Amino acid sequence: MASVSVTNVRKSYGHFEVLHGVDVDIQDGEFVILVGPSGCGKSTLLRMIAGLEEISGGTVSIGSKVVNNVAPKERDIAMVFQSYALYPHLTVEANMGFSLKLAKAPKEETRKRVLDAARILGLEHLLDRYPRNLSGGQRQRVAMGRAIVRNPQVFLFDEPLSNLDAKLRVQMRSEIKQLHQRLKTTTIYVTHDQIEAMTMADRIVVMRDGFVEQIGTPLDLYDRPANLFVAGFIGSPGMNLIRGKISAIGPLAFIADGGGELPLPAGAALERGAEVIYGIRPEHLAIGQGAVTADVLLIEPTGAETQVTASFGSDHLIATVRERLELAAGDTLAITPDVGKVHLFDAKTERRLVLA
Amino acid sequence: MKTTLSYKILIWTGIAVLLVWSLGPIYWTIASSVTPSADFSTRPINFFPQHFTLDHYSRLLGVNIARIGGVEVFKQFRAALINSVVTSVAATLLCVAISAFGAYAFTRLQFPGRKALFIIVVATLAIPAYAVLIPLYQIMIKLHLVDTYVGVALIYVSAFLPLSLWLLKSVFEALPIALEEAAQLDGAGRLYIFFNIVLPLAGPGLTAAAILTFLGAWGQYLVPLIFSPQATKPLTVLIPEFVTKNFIDYGLITASGSIAIIIPALVVIFLNRYLVSGLLAGSVK
Ligand SMILES: Nc1ncnc2c1ncn2[C@@H]1O[C@H](COP(=O)(O)OP(=O)(O)OP(=O)(O)O)[C@@H](O)[C@H]1O
Ligand SMILES: [Mg+2]
Repeated sequence: MASVSVTNVRKSYGHFEVLHGVDVDIQDGEFVILVGPSGCGKSTLLRMIAGLEEISGGTVSIGSKVVNNVAPKERDIAMVFQSYALYPHLTVEANMGFSLKLAKAPKEETRKRVLDAARILGLEHLLDRYPRNLSGGQRQRVAMGRAIVRNPQVFLFDEPLSNLDAKLRVQMRSEIKQLHQRLKTTTIYVTHDQIEAMTMADRIVVMRDGFVEQIGTPLDLYDRPANLFVAGFIGSPGMNLIRGKISAIGPLAFIADGGGELPLPAGAALERGAEVIYGIRPEHLAIGQGAVTADVLLIEPTGAETQVTASFGSDHLIATVRERLELAAGDTLAITPDVGKVHLFDAKTERRLVLA
Repeated sequence: MKTTLSYKILIWTGIAVLLVWSLGPIYWTIASSVTPSADFSTRPINFFPQHFTLDHYSRLLGVNIARIGGVEVFKQFRAALINSVVTSVAATLLCVAISAFGAYAFTRLQFPGRKALFIIVVATLAIPAYAVLIPLYQIMIKLHLVDTYVGVALIYVSAFLPLSLWLLKSVFEALPIALEEAAQLDGAGRLYIFFNIVLPLAGPGLTAAAILTFLGAWGQYLVPLIFSPQATKPLTVLIPEFVTKNFIDYGLITASGSIAIIIPALVVIFLNRYLVSGLLAGSVK
């Protein structure tokens, strides 16, 4: 196990820079998830840590050693690929033991370690099969087994679950997390699925267009998104984000550009008349009483909770409520935002405004 | 689209014409090889042999000793058969081995002039053999390689290498690079990856390259006519020699021709099972 430090790392393809100075420090034993929209450079960063991609600038260290010029096989890392990359002409056992065989480990030891890993992953009965005779989930497990057997310093995962169906994805998600709790190997995991990131990570690195937008624990990001992008990216259904201004005169309030007024925490230090974006998570909108009114557009019950979409001026507000409401499209609602949970972002810089 | 009767007739006629066109000569060769010499001059010509004989084969294979120009046909035939097999097999093995290494280098290694070099090599496909025959002959004379297995095999390799290189390059390009990257992280070096990951997965491509090279080498006439005049003379050069000034030995020509057809057919049938695709199934999704 080892820590991993990425310091001011850049990557260019020719003149085209895709990573613009990324800094991430990963503690020994931590589970860190890189998340962001497609094309933001997550895989590129991961592959640079693996040594599969050259580093154009900055340094990557594993442990205390800078590995910029260290060959991948010398870095003592194991990677699980999105495509699994199982060797099709080798059995499951040979796939999992491949690296040990290369390292000329004694036969019995290889077999023992492969069996141990197979037991952890529930693959004992599949050891003689070839990858083509496995289901997607089993292939995924074999790919993880191949990584576990090596007992590396660092695990790298590149969207390992994206080829699985939704149910299996949820199951594998918790299996990977349990595996990490058991092995405590430093893990860097790439996904574009923010739910995966929220549920599995110790810390999340949100990336966009080759920049790191924010690094923090899942709840950090959820409760205090540093900017508009993170606010919109984390959480499902997403945070309600409404453009408007701080009232110039009269009591402190938010005036939506699309019409309508929303409350702000009393005494917040805000510039009067400033253009801002008002953010409130769906679960922080209470339905039933209050001064804000909106017209119901859509009711989507999921069983545990109900998601209500309502029109507010020319904007939409989404609220999730646990109680079962007797509502129908077209009804007029009274809504109360929890003013303590309001997020405000500067309309120009899109940065979070500190309210207290 | 609705297939009308006339459309079907058209298709089937086309298929029939193609079949007759390609299989007709083969049928005629085989049918003639079991026809007694006396029947060759009967008119009208019969489509099916009227009498059956293995006489030509027994002459060819030395069961009865027959002589043309005082030399035993069987010895000549056996030598030519061996020569054909040796040169074709040697050319095939060499060509596939060299082009596999070359194609992998062109696919995965970065070196200056990579694209240009590849284009130049493949462009040599466009040069007709007779354009280089005379200079090549001089070179081979100087190297004392005329009428040697090494010389002929090398010429075949140089002739078929570009095609095989081209084919294998596209085969290697189609292999998922993640497999090689995974092996790299697992601690494998370039050569280990090449022999233990890439080659096994490129099996069908290697087989296709081998078949193409073998068939190409087996059917060569002009090159061996010049470079294999005596000791290494192959079947393609021997068979026309059964035509002498005064007499065309149709029986020997067709019997040896039939054998010359059967060997590459057997090779293709044997190698065909390695052409199976779907070997990659399950590795990457
Ligand atoms: N070989 C390459 N040459 C040029 N540009 C590349 C190359 N590989 C990747 N890129 C670019 O680098 C950027 C980052 O790619 P990367 O694969 O890291 O994205 P990603 O965040 O993993 O996206 P996804 O979620 O779709 O996998 C993209 O804009 C991509 O077009
Ligand atoms: Mg990616």
